[in-house]
Amino acid sequence: MGGLSTSLLIGAQALDATQGALDATSNNIANANTAGYTREVAQFSENGENQSGDEVTGGGVTLDGLQSVRDELLNIQIQQQTSLQASVNAQSSSLQQVQTSFTTSGDDIASTLTAFSSSLAQLSANPSSSATRQSVLASGQNLADAFNSTANALTTAQSDADQQVTQTVAQINSLSQQIAQLNGQLAQLPAGQDGGTTEDQRDELVQQLSGLTGISITQGSDGETITTGSGTPLVMGAQSFNLQITTGTGGFQQVLDSNGTNITTSIQGGTLGGAIQIRDQMIPGFLSQLNTLASQFATSFNAAQAQGYDSNGDAGANLFSVPSNSNDAAAGISVAISNVSQIAASSDGSSGSNGNVANLSAALTNTLPSGATPANAYADLVFQVGNATSNASTQSTAIGQNLTQLTTQQGAVSAVSIDEETTNLLRYQTAYEAASRIVSTVQALDNAALNMGSSTSF
Amino acid sequence: MRIDPNMVPEILSDLQQSQVSLNTALQQVSTGKSVNVPSDNPSAAAEMVQNTIETGDVDQYTQNVTTTLSSVQSASSALSTVVTSLTQAVSLGTEGANGTNSSANLQAMATQVQGIITSVVSMANSSVSGSYLFGGTSTATPYTADSASPTGYTYNGNNDTNSVAVGDQMTVQVNLPGSQIFSNSSNNVLGSLSSLVTALQSGNSASIAKATTAVDSAVNYISQQQAFYSNAETQLTSQQTTLQQDTVTLSTQANNLIGVNEATAATNLSQAETDNSAALAAVAKVLPNSLLNYLEPPS
Repeated sequence: MGGLSTSLLIGAQALDATQGALDATSNNIANANTAGYTREVAQFSENGENQSGDEVTGGGVTLDGLQSVRDELLNIQIQQQTSLQASVNAQSSSLQQVQTSFTTSGDDIASTLTAFSSSLAQLSANPSSSATRQSVLASGQNLADAFNSTANALTTAQSDADQQVTQTVAQINSLSQQIAQLNGQLAQLPAGQDGGTTEDQRDELVQQLSGLTGISITQGSDGETITTGSGTPLVMGAQSFNLQITTGTGGFQQVLDSNGTNITTSIQGGTLGGAIQIRDQMIPGFLSQLNTLASQFATSFNAAQAQGYDSNGDAGANLFSVPSNSNDAAAGISVAISNVSQIAASSDGSSGSNGNVANLSAALTNTLPSGATPANAYADLVFQVGNATSNASTQSTAIGQNLTQLTTQQGAVSAVSIDEETTNLLRYQTAYEAASRIVSTVQALDNAALNMGSSTSF
Repeated sequence: MRIDPNMVPEILSDLQQSQVSLNTALQQVSTGKSVNVPSDNPSAAAEMVQNTIETGDVDQYTQNVTTTLSSVQSASSALSTVVTSLTQAVSLGTEGANGTNSSANLQAMATQVQGIITSVVSMANSSVSGSYLFGGTSTATPYTADSASPTGYTYNGNNDTNSVAVGDQMTVQVNLPGSQIFSNSSNNVLGSLSSLVTALQSGNSASIAKATTAVDSAVNYISQQQAFYSNAETQLTSQQTTLQQDTVTLSTQANNLIGVNEATAATNLSQAETDNSAALAAVAKVLPNSLLNYLEPPS
């Protein structure tokens, strides 16, 4: 049979355990708004029973520790969605900029092509007027400028994406190093012990890393191994592997793994994947179509010029000049003539003839070798840019909703509820008060027992 | 089951969504367009490229019709003046051929006909905004005095004609060369007038009568040429109507593609405003709520 000292011991243990639980509660409340913080719950367990003769009495309580409440599976899903979202967001923001060049603004290709077409129709009515000829030349110049600025907008977006690649790789390396360091700390913990805040910090960094590039995580004996989606190692336990950057043949930054192998094309997801997709896939596609259009349009219009005669009766010279490298056609297209008399409106060599204007106008509406008229080829490009932009933002919204849902689920498991913590606070307060009462009561009983039979105490 | 105690991310996402709707509605009302950037509706934006170009062309064709009409009408009225002058010459010739005129009278008539030639030549040299109406496609002055020529004038223009674009697949021929109207080999207007001068100067009634007949047939010939111009005028006027219809069609199409129904846009805006206020009000009500509000402060 246990004595009063047993009760005192149980009371003291209860005070200790409740104190630990109060610590957890106060830490939860303190970190209610800390990103990546996972709520902790106190784990109590009953102590073994005391048996004395036939009597069995309880052995009190022990605080086993504080356990962070997290769901690893949800974390992985959130990381995957974060990668996807960062990738489409990078594409979306770049495309949003690009598409302004394809918006009807007065100096875009559609508007300037319209003005050029109108100026040719006007030339038909008034072939010998130098003002009309001037307007053909000026609107031809504006059209060439529109091609130049559209091409520039595309290459600017491309080089912005290129810079993003460099910056993102630096961030990835820095995060990999921090994660490896935390992995090292976690590995020091005794087996079975909860990682607590260190693990929270690591998970938060992994979450950030997943926004930069698509990653895949495996748990090994020596901690977490993180690789890119295609298997390039970034972190293995306490060791991190830096990605490297080198300038490629096209002048753009290529991503190399720690062994120097070029892994640029295999990178997917995250800001890095999105930037590479924009830089190496989407914009080159648009640029190539724009260059084809600029080059074929110039050739077709120059051929129409050559069919006629200028005001001086000379055969029509090229109105547009394009660089010999067809990859620079849109960026470099320019008006080759400076004198309004050189517009080949005449079909018979006399300066008042408008016979060749029909051919010049037809160059704007005839089918190019690409299979479309200049207007349709441009309209197709507008559609593609618009569609890509719209897809990226639709995807971003959809993934965003998905992510909100997953975050809500994660919150349901791991987030701190102030109401819950307040309730716990009251619960532990009461428990602590009760345990204190046990101690003081036992103390009073001890006194009573020691003073038994003495009259001095009365 | 435990629910997510942290309502902030969801609240923020809801607020953001209602803000996006509000911005979209506001933009549509203020611009009157539902498609402001290609991503708003990629296929409509693509179709608008063609629409913009066609609209620009139709505007220009309409202007072309206006300027061409004015030049065709000027040419037609110049020819009417020529007909009047020629009719005058026929009267003079008829009078000169009746055999009762003194030689001095005939000389005076010859001088009058000479004056008519000058007036016809000035009509043949008429121009509209710097372009000669009867010079073919040449920009040279059509008729200049030339003592070597039997008519006293030589034609400097050419035999070509211009056709002006007034529609995508439509051109209207707007001129006849002076060589066809005034100095045609079979119906030479200037030639017949100058023969009349010569006949009047010679005083021979028979040749005066013959020359007068030739001038008379020149009157008919010019009237026939006028038919070309009135025909062109009819074509241009009817094209003007077609172009007006095209303008309406294109602007309707543009409105269907990227325009916004004002009533719908206004309704959307007011709906978005209500949604946004409701979302904000809900946030204001929900966020401050906590168990702590209901607990007695510790004594």
